[in-house]
Amino acid sequence: MPGRRLADPPSGTLPATGRRPRRRVLLFAALCTACVVVAGGYLALAAQRARDVRAAAPVAVQAAAPASLDGRPRLLFRSTALDSTYGKLALVPLSRPDGPRVMTQLDCDRVYMAAGRGLCLAADRGVITTYTAVLFGPDFAPRHRLPIPGLPSRARLSPDGRLAAMTVFVTGHSYAGGAFSTRTSIVDTDSGRPLLDDLERLTVLRDGRRWRRADFNFWGVTFVPGGDRFYATLASGGRTWLLEGDLRSRSARVLRGNVECPSISPDGTRLAYKRRMPGIRVTWRLHVLDLATMTDTPLAETRSVDDQVEWLDDRQLLYSLADGDRPTAVTDTWVVPAGGGGSPRILAHAAFSPAVQRG
Amino acid sequence: MTYPSLRERRTRAPATRQASRPTAPVARTVVLLGITSLFTDVSSEMVAAVLPLYLVLQLGFTPLQFGIVDGLYEGVTTLVRLAGGYVADRWRRHKEVAAGGYALSAACKLGLVAAGGAWGAVAGIIALDRTGKGIRTAPRDAMISFSTPPADLGRAFGVHRALDTTGAMLGPLVAFVILAIVPGAFDSVFVTSFCAAVIGLGVLLLFVDNPARQAAVPPAAAAAGPGMPPRAVARLLAVPRVRALVVAGAVLALATVSDGFVYLTLQRRASLQVGFFPLLAVGVALVYMLLAAPVGRLADRVGRGLVLLGGHLLLLVVYAALLAGASGVVVVAVTLGLLGAYYAATDGVLAALASAALPAYARSSGLALVASGTALARLAGSVLFGAVWAVWGLQGAVAGFLAGQLAAIAVAALVLGRHGEVLGRAGPAPG
Repeated sequence: MPGRRLADPPSGTLPATGRRPRRRVLLFAALCTACVVVAGGYLALAAQRARDVRAAAPVAVQAAAPASLDGRPRLLFRSTALDSTYGKLALVPLSRPDGPRVMTQLDCDRVYMAAGRGLCLAADRGVITTYTAVLFGPDFAPRHRLPIPGLPSRARLSPDGRLAAMTVFVTGHSYAGGAFSTRTSIVDTDSGRPLLDDLERLTVLRDGRRWRRADFNFWGVTFVPGGDRFYATLASGGRTWLLEGDLRSRSARVLRGNVECPSISPDGTRLAYKRRMPGIRVTWRLHVLDLATMTDTPLAETRSVDDQVEWLDDRQLLYSLADGDRPTAVTDTWVVPAGGGGSPRILAHAAFSPAVQRG
Repeated sequence: MTYPSLRERRTRAPATRQASRPTAPVARTVVLLGITSLFTDVSSEMVAAVLPLYLVLQLGFTPLQFGIVDGLYEGVTTLVRLAGGYVADRWRRHKEVAAGGYALSAACKLGLVAAGGAWGAVAGIIALDRTGKGIRTAPRDAMISFSTPPADLGRAFGVHRALDTTGAMLGPLVAFVILAIVPGAFDSVFVTSFCAAVIGLGVLLLFVDNPARQAAVPPAAAAAGPGMPPRAVARLLAVPRVRALVVAGAVLALATVSDGFVYLTLQRRASLQVGFFPLLAVGVALVYMLLAAPVGRLADRVGRGLVLLGGHLLLLVVYAALLAGASGVVVVAVTLGLLGAYYAATDGVLAALASAALPAYARSSGLALVASGTALARLAGSVLFGAVWAVWGLQGAVAGFLAGQLAAIAVAALVLGRHGEVLGRAGPAPG
């Protein structure tokens, strides 16, 4: 607006709106119309694009009840196919992991299942987004619903299905702002009651002595087969440690550094985990730690993986990665040998948060 | 006292304070700026509401990365706020500087679409978005003050904040309607957010007038040339009444427990279900929205300093309720109401106090100074609370901040009272 200087009329505001107010109103009406058209058009385009993706790479669904796979080795996961199954819990036989899926009615952002018990962490998106943990039975019917304080991050059950562990990101809400932290709790799947409502309550020992820090964060629990022991990640001061915890004594000891999201092998001898790599960019490489010798083996997957891996069997690992060529919402489940070597390949397309049911 | 009269649709009578007078309508510019803020808040809050979901669940950001991005929010705003305030004063281009800030934030919404999943780019864009917010805040508040008679500043800021908060509450609703229509269509959320921001910017550019002012330069600097030298901003702190406001604002903020900690304490003390967390924030925003205008008007009548201190007295009740750990529902209701009322009695009222104390030539610089002092003190208070919590435990930390808040109110009352701010006897600043 040229000429709007101090030399302008000495009091009041310049009557800019007085000059051709009609033109300005018309201009504003045109602007609003354009905005509505652009926003609406883009949304229509996004809907069309989702339909196209579905048509180009259809994920077959079989009209069968989840019970039809009972007793067979199977894989369950969150469907990330951009269709009506998006976000729902799906099942496939392990013999045909990329074949037609059996759908359940559970909506989950993270899911896990063991010995007929399941844990589904869900974001109930709405005006106010709330989060729920659903404990379900072999029929995929919810048995307990627990409110959780933030975004689902990790879900795990003990091999016997008795214990469930969940990690969420407690983030500042948009109105409140603030810093992030994690919260990890362990619940009894029978009663739905917390056995340890926050891992912060653990007595942590480091080199035999009590260790306390205000900035402790815990995440990524994995349960040792048979018993009340578990492994988890402890973070403080920007570093992470591997913890070995005991639910009964409510204590844990620090084993070693730079281990995140441990996942114990079915035979209980090794931990697969993600290791933070040096550098400004936050990247992780998958490693396997032998618990007897405490030696590390880097895996053949060279991309950064941020996931708590799942053991397909004692020799192969599963994890989820976003497909770079497709919308970010689509995540595939990959498989890589657990002993190092080999090369990663896709086990199931548009599948996230895999959990193996061995029979 | 020749305060520049900038009232619109009113007579050209000088805007001196009157003991009792009929209530004039809120200035057109204030309402228009409020509508601009409403649309801008719809735009920014719809992104803020889905950002955690987008970054963590969609892009696979880790907590650590999310923390870095979140931290960028805070630091950037303070620095840029001072610069934006100064530039607006220096070239007397409040509207243009504010519009630049709004435009930058709008462009960032498209940037989020373009960035895709590159986390470095996303973090940079979010920082730029906050830069836009930092740039626009002080010039906009200065424009509110220029278009309002000094006696009505509290109500004007209250009306603006009420509209602003309305937008903040509508934003998440719009975002989740879009995600319900097409799951995972975050880019569509960003495009819609861009469009809302453009409408807000359009209201500002097409209908809001740049304030013209008398005596827009300090007498001493006038001889040196047009505009205001940077020294003049520093010299503001030498003005006792301005310094009193910066000190009072900072001291009060330092002893304030951040909302996140209040909710966390509530949850632990009153065994509140964690699912209530976001509901609390919405409840507070709702009370704030409803009370902002009436409390601002009350401040104009009984004294802005008094209402500001009263707002902080409400915080004492909140902390006491947290310490008592009474039954869940009661504590929740009390906290919602009191926290909302606290915001209504402090945020806009402090801006009104500062506007009345600041000379016109350095209005937006001074507003930025007061706001930055408060923001930095709040940040320090947050760190302090965390540290005290680690040493004394949660109960001890709340008790400590209760005592600290009481002391801060006493200090602020003393400092403000010396300049007649508490009961509103202070006249308008020299122009």
